[in-house]
Amino acid sequence: MASTNRFDAIVIGSGVSGGFAAKELTEKGLKVLMLDRGHMVEHQEGYTYDGKPAFELPARGTVPPQVVASDYFIAKYGYVSTSNLQFYNDDRLNPYAFDEGKEFRWIRPAAVGGKSLIWGRWSFRWSPDDFEANKREGVASDWPIRYEDLAPWYSYVEKYIGVSGSRENLPYLPDSEFMPPMPMNVAEKWMKGRLEANFPGRKLIHARLSNITEDKPDQNRTKCQFRNQCSNGCSFGAYFSTQAVTLPAARSTGRLTLQSNAVVTNLDYDPAAKRVTGVRYVDAKTGQAQTVQANLVFLCASTIGSVQILMNSRPSGSERSYFDTSGTLGRYVMDHIFRVNVSGDIPGMDEYIEYGRRPGQVYIPRFRNMAGTDDRVGFKRGYGYQGGAHRPVAEPVGFGASMKNAMRRYDGWKFSMGAFGECLPYEDNRVSLHPSKVDRFGVPLLRFDVSFRDNELKMMADAREQGEKMLRGAGLTNVTSSEEKHVPGDAIHEMGGARMGRDPRSSVLNSWSQAHDASNLYVTDGAQMASAACVNPSLTFMALTTRAADHAARNFRATAA
Amino acid sequence: MIIDRRSALIGVAAMFGSNLFTPIARAAARDAQPIIDTGKPSVPVFTPVQHATMVALSERVIPTTDTPGAIAAGVPDYIDKLLADWSLPEERIPIVAGLDAVEARSKGDYKISAARATVAQQDALLTAAMEDRFTGGADFFDKFRQLVITGYYTSEIGMTQEREYLPVPAEYDGAFLYSKINKVYSA
Repeated sequence: MASTNRFDAIVIGSGVSGGFAAKELTEKGLKVLMLDRGHMVEHQEGYTYDGKPAFELPARGTVPPQVVASDYFIAKYGYVSTSNLQFYNDDRLNPYAFDEGKEFRWIRPAAVGGKSLIWGRWSFRWSPDDFEANKREGVASDWPIRYEDLAPWYSYVEKYIGVSGSRENLPYLPDSEFMPPMPMNVAEKWMKGRLEANFPGRKLIHARLSNITEDKPDQNRTKCQFRNQCSNGCSFGAYFSTQAVTLPAARSTGRLTLQSNAVVTNLDYDPAAKRVTGVRYVDAKTGQAQTVQANLVFLCASTIGSVQILMNSRPSGSERSYFDTSGTLGRYVMDHIFRVNVSGDIPGMDEYIEYGRRPGQVYIPRFRNMAGTDDRVGFKRGYGYQGGAHRPVAEPVGFGASMKNAMRRYDGWKFSMGAFGECLPYEDNRVSLHPSKVDRFGVPLLRFDVSFRDNELKMMADAREQGEKMLRGAGLTNVTSSEEKHVPGDAIHEMGGARMGRDPRSSVLNSWSQAHDASNLYVTDGAQMASAACVNPSLTFMALTTRAADHAARNFRATAA
Repeated sequence: MIIDRRSALIGVAAMFGSNLFTPIARAAARDAQPIIDTGKPSVPVFTPVQHATMVALSERVIPTTDTPGAIAAGVPDYIDKLLADWSLPEERIPIVAGLDAVEARSKGDYKISAARATVAQQDALLTAAMEDRFTGGADFFDKFRQLVITGYYTSEIGMTQEREYLPVPAEYDGAFLYSKINKVYSA
């Protein structure tokens, strides 16, 4: 069969997962076709506004409100600027649906590289407990893997991409294979000492980032230059993106074919063989429909994008996906809850300022309900905070020479941080295909029915209260907090919908990210997650992808032999 | 209506299989992503008198001192463009009304157009606005002041002369001595 196919494997999507799938599979000798719905962006030359100051950006960087209202009314909840707009989805051209009162912010990319071009770059290993909590607490279903299964793959990915951070030896936040951390500033160091002394068991540590702090000459990557313009695209290749890291690796094998503007609509399936037999896509530029075949398919179209493709793969006239024997496809959708912010003033240290701009600062790891203990705070799981200290430029009132002069000074140190909380997997937090509305490619719109529940809201109330307590306890003044409406999708950490599990009757994928219903189909992005932890998930997607690619390639060779 | 028809057609096409909707997808592809207009202002926002007042007042908000002021930094052009194409039409209303009010006040108090008043008189007019001593004064002042500040500190002069432009710091020092710098960093 292999001889009749031009490609051994098709990778759908080119983000953190798809890029790694393409790299791993091509390096293992497979001929790979990578399809992405987005337009092509080449490393460096495609970063139109890299290094450009505000006065060289359209509209000085601010997307005009009428353009936001017409085309980026969801993307605006991401981090859009006119310098990175080309990397964000056009919400008018690619709509989705939700019912009244069930708002979901599906913030999508628009280019090859997916969200790897615009992600936050915070990179954490999950802890052993993150894989065990579902079982211990009887929540949803148990993960079919444990931390130990993933640890070597974390190491493999970290060494390749480069993760900066500090070794902390915390059992609840395992260390990565670190490059040196981005330094803390004088105010953060001061705060760390006081916070850790006054709140035993709580830590304030360096950010863990995919921004490298040592050159990687073998990958033509230069260490972070402290510009903090990551989302414009980084020509130094200082942060992990498909363009900077995995795409060059895959291309260098000579076995990669990359097709941009290829919108995958559905998968063909042979029920007797229980195999995917084809990938159907529409060329977004020409409207031409195509079908391509390969022995192996890696679906890495993003959490929700992959679920949509799976759901739209179904027998003619049926609403049930080929891949939904379990009835769990589209269920247990999660996102981190994170609209709580706490800030305050750090007194003193006026003689110091910052030189350079870090792309990430400091982290306060989870301290609630640790490893089997119940803090009796009215919710399960926990949250962490990402934050940092800065000296903003003074904002005087009035006008004229005196105002201009007063704006030549920095104010005192200010610290602010935001909480990221774990969302539990709920069976009825689900997405489905819209019964009547379709997009411009004929694919039914995805409809969201996802909401945060009591557990998440109580967690955020606690994060707000504890955040204020910690900042006050550490000696900050003018401590204030705010809480905005919590809308799922907002954190852009959506996960679940095609969860892993041991039992084909209650999960979509097995412990190798492989579909129970199709041995040649792997889903290695966020869709596979059976819980969400409270740390940023991309590093885990990458580790799971490399592990799945290793498994798939071994199977592929066994089948071919 | 057109959109509804197109949606309906795509729905019908989807029922009959993918090849049928090729021409429709092609039509949809014409709906390209918007391009942000960076040319000349597409509409005149101000009358000549309003424009002259706007230019004069922008320079009073951020005057030329030991560094260039708002006019040299191109702030009036920025305001022309922003209000014409980079903001919602309703955002022009308080600015235009405020400029008219300032002009009327100048004519009343000084018997001269605001643009031709002395800088002391212009400062007095801006102060009257700031202190809301005429209808809509403070609202105009706050919004106009913010336009000038944004325009100035995102301009080349604002970023590279008034402030120090640091495009590639190359390193990070979180305990850098404040006494080593004379200007704040623009980026």
